[in-house]
Amino acid sequence: MAIFVPSCDTHPVLILNHIAPYHWAIAGTGIGVLTLVLLTVARKRLGISTGIENICSLVIPAPYFRRESLVSTHSWRLPILLGLVLGGVLSAVIESGTWSPLWDLGIFDIAVGWGPAGKVLWMFIGGLFIGFGTRLAGGCTSGHGIFGISNLELSSVVTVLSFMAAGVVTSNLLYRVILGF
Amino acid sequence: MPAFYLAFGIVFGWILSRSGAADYNYVQGMFLFTEFQMYGIIGVAIAVIAPGLLLLKRRGIVPSTKPRHRGNIVGGILFGIGWSLTGMCPGPILVNVGEGKLYAIAAFAGVFVGAGAFGALYPRLEGPFGLPPLKKK
Repeated sequence: MAIFVPSCDTHPVLILNHIAPYHWAIAGTGIGVLTLVLLTVARKRLGISTGIENICSLVIPAPYFRRESLVSTHSWRLPILLGLVLGGVLSAVIESGTWSPLWDLGIFDIAVGWGPAGKVLWMFIGGLFIGFGTRLAGGCTSGHGIFGISNLELSSVVTVLSFMAAGVVTSNLLYRVILGF
Repeated sequence: MPAFYLAFGIVFGWILSRSGAADYNYVQGMFLFTEFQMYGIIGVAIAVIAPGLLLLKRRGIVPSTKPRHRGNIVGGILFGIGWSLTGMCPGPILVNVGEGKLYAIAAFAGVFVGAGAFGALYPRLEGPFGLPPLKKK
C-alpha cells in the first residue's frame, strides 16, 4: 500500500515494465519542448482529444463529423494518434525485447480485484465519460491543461479546475470512502 | 509532413509511457495527493511553454484559442470522472493500447462511443451549453 503513504523517496515502478519513471522535471521539459516544436515548425496547437473526432469522422456520418474544419485536420491529427500507439509499442518492446498483452492495473488489482470482464466494463464506462466530456469541454489534459493554461485562456482554467476537482472527488470516493484505504 | 506528425506522436507517446502519465498508479496518486509526479510533469511543461509562447507571439506565431461556454464546466466534470475511473486521459489511452494493456482497448471503445454520441447530439447541445454553432465551427 505504499502508494497511499505520502513519501518523498519511494515511488511505485511503472505497471508496464516495473522500472522507475523518468524524473518529472525531465518528462515535463520534454513535453514542453515538443509542444513548442509542434507550434513553431508546423503551426499546430497541441491537442489530443480533438483527434478522437477525426476517428469518428471516418465512420460516423453525422454532420458534426463531416464539417470541413475537422476533415481538413485528418492529415496531421491522425498521424499523431497513430504515433502515440507506436510510442507505447516501442516503450514496451525496447525494455523487455518482446510485446506481450497484459491486464495489470496496479492498485486497482489490490483494492478492487476484478478480472478482465469487470475491467472491460469499468474501462468502457470510464471511456464514455472521457469521450463525451472532453468533447463537451472542448479539450483534455493536453489542449486545455497544458496548452490552454500556458496560454492563459479562461476557458482552459475553468475546464482544468472542473476536471481536477471531479477526478479528486471520484478517486477519493472510490479508494478512501468506499474501499476504506 | 505526415512523417513529422508521426514522429511527434511517437516521441510524445514514449514520454507519456515512461513518465507515469500513462500509468494507473501515478494518475491515482495525483488525484489522491500521494504522488507529486503528475503535478511536476504538467507544471514543468507549462513553465517551459508559457514563456515560449510569449516569445513566439512577438514573432507573429499566434495560436488559436478555445471558446468559453457552459460545456467547459460540465464537460470538464465528466472528463475528470472518466480520467479517475480509467486512470487515463485521451493520449495515454492510445499509449496504453500500444503498450499492450488490453483494458485500454475497452476505454478507447468507450471514448469513441462517447464522442460519437456528442457529435450526434450536437444540434441539441448547442443551445443549452452555448456551444459554437455547427455552421461556424
